[in-house]
Amino acid sequence: MSRGRSAGTDLALRNVTKRYGAVSALTDVSLAVEAGELLTILGPSGSGKTTLLKVVAGFELPEAGIVMLGGSDVTERPPAARNIGMVFQNYALFPHMTVRENVAFPLEMRRVPRRLIEEKVARALALVELTGYEARLPTQLSGGQQQRVALARAIVFDPILLLLDEPFGALDRKLREQMQLEVRRLQRQLGLTTLFITHDQEEALVLSDRIAVMSHGRIEQIGAPDEIYERPANGFVADFVGESNVIAGRAAARKDGLVEIELEDGARICVAGDRIPDAGAEVRVLVRPERLELASDGAAINRVAGTVVETVYLGTSYKYRLRVPGGREWLVRRPVRAGEAPLAPGDSVAVGFAPGDAHLIAG
Amino acid sequence: MTEAVATLPLAAGDRVRRRHARSVLGALALSTPALVLLLVFFALPLLRLFWLSVDAGTFLPYEKALTERLYLTVFWETFKIAAAVTVLTLLLGYPVAYFLATTTRLWQFVGFAFVMLPFWTSILVRTYAWMVLLGRNGVVNRTLLDLGLITEPLPLLHNFTGVLIGMVHVLLPYMIFPIYNAMRKVDADLVRAAEGLGAPGYAVFRRIYLPLTMEGVLAGTTLVFILSLGFFITPALLGGGRVAMIAVIIEQQVREFLNWGFAGALSVVLLASTLVVYGLVHRLLRPRFAEGVR
Amino acid sequence: MKRRTVIAGLGCVALSGIGRARAQSEPPKPRQIVVNASGGAMATALRKAYFDSFEKEYGIRIVDTSPTDFGKLRAMVESGNVEWTVTELGGQDAIRVARMGLVEKIDPKIVDRSGFPEQARSETVYTSSLYSTVLAYRTDVFKPGSHPKSWAEFWDVKKFPGARSLRNHPVDNLEFALLADGVPLDKIYPIDMDRAFKKLDEIKPHVTVWWTTGAQPAQLLVDKEVVLATGWNGRFYDVIKKGAPIAIEWNGGSIKEGTFAIPKGAKDAYWGQKLLAWMSDPKRQAVYATELGYPGPHLETTKYVDPKVAPQMPNYPENLKKQFWNNKQWWDENGEKAAERWNQWLLKK
Ligand SMILES: Nc1ncnc2c1ncn2[C@@H]1O[C@H](COP(=O)(O)OP(=O)(O)OP(=O)(O)O)[C@@H](O)[C@H]1O
Ligand SMILES: [Mg+2]
Repeated sequence: MSRGRSAGTDLALRNVTKRYGAVSALTDVSLAVEAGELLTILGPSGSGKTTLLKVVAGFELPEAGIVMLGGSDVTERPPAARNIGMVFQNYALFPHMTVRENVAFPLEMRRVPRRLIEEKVARALALVELTGYEARLPTQLSGGQQQRVALARAIVFDPILLLLDEPFGALDRKLREQMQLEVRRLQRQLGLTTLFITHDQEEALVLSDRIAVMSHGRIEQIGAPDEIYERPANGFVADFVGESNVIAGRAAARKDGLVEIELEDGARICVAGDRIPDAGAEVRVLVRPERLELASDGAAINRVAGTVVETVYLGTSYKYRLRVPGGREWLVRRPVRAGEAPLAPGDSVAVGFAPGDAHLIAG
Repeated sequence: MTEAVATLPLAAGDRVRRRHARSVLGALALSTPALVLLLVFFALPLLRLFWLSVDAGTFLPYEKALTERLYLTVFWETFKIAAAVTVLTLLLGYPVAYFLATTTRLWQFVGFAFVMLPFWTSILVRTYAWMVLLGRNGVVNRTLLDLGLITEPLPLLHNFTGVLIGMVHVLLPYMIFPIYNAMRKVDADLVRAAEGLGAPGYAVFRRIYLPLTMEGVLAGTTLVFILSLGFFITPALLGGGRVAMIAVIIEQQVREFLNWGFAGALSVVLLASTLVVYGLVHRLLRPRFAEGVR
Repeated sequence: MKRRTVIAGLGCVALSGIGRARAQSEPPKPRQIVVNASGGAMATALRKAYFDSFEKEYGIRIVDTSPTDFGKLRAMVESGNVEWTVTELGGQDAIRVARMGLVEKIDPKIVDRSGFPEQARSETVYTSSLYSTVLAYRTDVFKPGSHPKSWAEFWDVKKFPGARSLRNHPVDNLEFALLADGVPLDKIYPIDMDRAFKKLDEIKPHVTVWWTTGAQPAQLLVDKEVVLATGWNGRFYDVIKKGAPIAIEWNGGSIKEGTFAIPKGAKDAYWGQKLLAWMSDPKRQAVYATELGYPGPHLETTKYVDPKVAPQMPNYPENLKKQFWNNKQWWDENGEKAAERWNQWLLKK
């Protein structure tokens, strides 16, 4: 089962549209997943993530568009003939079958010889560390164990594609993180092309080769985790992935790859940008809380004076809510350091950021 | 589970047991009205029946019921018919239940109306309707003759076939409702999961859907089987006297000969053999996962 | 105001005076008596033929209840709380109630049954009507005159081919089998069961329906499910009246009685006897007969019914001659044994 090269197949969706009555669950979705890649679909509840998986798996026929798997059009191929492993949002383990029978099921459907089935089931269960649980029924397992059975069942038959629909939704944080690593390890080890769904942006950042952010049935942006985080394509992505400070203003001047922006209150800030807007255009600037620096940290160009409204201790860092001129609030995050007293509400501080730490986003 | 209890300190074990006892008592208190009803309307008459059967101070009625060819044959015939009716209602009822469980609201409404229809007409009227339909010169035979599909009227009435048709019709709803209920509870994702794992349609049905609806099948077959055993009017009218049911004999013993002792013995034997069959069927068909829960 | 009170008081005195005067000849009149019977069409006929006129004559209201229920009768008598003044009895119960002492004797001083056939003058029960299990046939299959005219001919499937229906019960069938086998009318009882069942073996393959309810045989003939059937004359009368191509052969018919009785310890038993006396009148019985096709037993009843209808009655003198009276006593003693043997015989392939 462990393989050097990628066992997966590339997947492509072209202009897929799927409607449920008046609701458009998917609108003109195009997407390409490379062989061996783990692509995460990230989006809020109801944005169409599950629908996308169902179209890929063949449970739903799209009204328009095609699904390509390994270069061939599978849009109308029945699910049983697609050879795709899927872990459902609620695991969908067969309640009347034992762990062993659940995992053996896809092999039996493929008429794998009996001896080989035993071998493969044992190996898959070992992979998810459930050896010894063969005779249990799903109801006799914890949530995490059920999830791992579902995973074993989805990979035991060497699928060409793995679909995971919010598999960790029901797990506690610790188990969740452990499972994330496990899935990542397995996926790498098997070289499986994987489509992973989540509405948890942190999970997406940790796991993915690339992330596709969805909203209202559309894909807003596809890119590597750092790209999504650092250079969100629009306000929605910026807001949905990570915490953000968004500053609205008007492009005033540009020089040497820098854009000078005039804020509503007349203050000016400088931002680095590869996409330089026309002078006078309305723009928004994204600065992540951890990229903001307190004045004492050094010479920041874009300085603003503010007052601490709230201090939150997060273990590894402090999060401050500052009131800045114009009645707005900024979030600032600073690592916890020995001998450094945190700011208290009421303290006045100056914050700033280097032009390279800010990102211009469209409208 | 056992592991956990064993490692608990004794006092805590006691506490667990006490709490368990309390919840059992609570449940008992809540179900008292139902239990009293059952006692008065079921257990007591049953006891009285048994009492009547041994009233004479001997087990002679039992000896007669269990040794005479006539009664053994009638018991056998009764169980045979009940089994045939159960199998037929299952074969007919399962697809209907599936249709009802998966169709749109409108069709569901129409479907239920049709299923319920027999409930709204008296059993006698229904039975006579079948006589009109199935007779030698009945609607069915005349139509088939007119179409030239047969040259002689088919013997549909006054025999085993007639009884089967009549009983299946009357009992079909009792099969459909429990199965429908079980089907509504089946998670559609399980079926999808099976398809996605490579199962062709028939395998999805046999390995997943059928076992998951087995509880309903079990309830339906039990209900229909037991109701069939006690059937009386339909076999008498549609069987033409050729189909012997034990209920007919029991009724005759009571009404005609006031032979409560023997009627009681026959009823007790019927009840006992019903329980045996019930136990066997449950052994064979009971879904495994239902036991594992809790 | 004052005057009215006085008048009412006077009326009251006058009424009680009458009551006392009558008490010397007969018990006081109750406001109502309860008559229990099978209900249905019969209740209507009873009311039309007897109850309405009785109420008018005596000023006693008749409350009719149903159905007949032997167990209830026994419970009433045993507990001493008898609701029914008069009750109809089910088929075989007439003998049983007498044996068990559950009923009052019929008072010959009140109920005059001199016009009844001798077989219908039991000491303990009152015969209210006669009916007969008879042979009926489809007139479009067998022309009247060349139809089966005896049980021997009913048994003759070569000469009279076609499906037959008999009752799923030994009563009458054993008698018919013996008649078919050549036993004379007056030598039927005691029944030789071996001989009867042996004869029944012959007809068994040609009986397509063993009927269980009274309505069945007439319906089977109407639907042409069978061409020959036994059944109760009233049921055939019903469909013949409506024009069905069916006729009755009275030869070898088995006459039985519908009976009423007064439960032991009944309140107002005297008025119960009076009601039975009222019912024994042949003219009133003729009304009942026209209504139901089951005449009262009075030999003159048929004189008072429509002459076209009279030949459809079991006690029409011509018909009475050809039939036999079913022996209740024999059946009371042997019924259970016969039924067991019957069930066994029917199951035999
Ligand atoms: N069977 C259906 N019938 C009608 N509407 C549906 C159906 N399935 C989904 N939808 C609708 O389509 C939209 C997308 O649903 P989908 O299940 O794909 O969301 P999701 O992104 O998976 O959400 P979640 O994170 O809550 O699982 C929603 O508005 C939903 O209400
Ligand atoms: Mg979803």
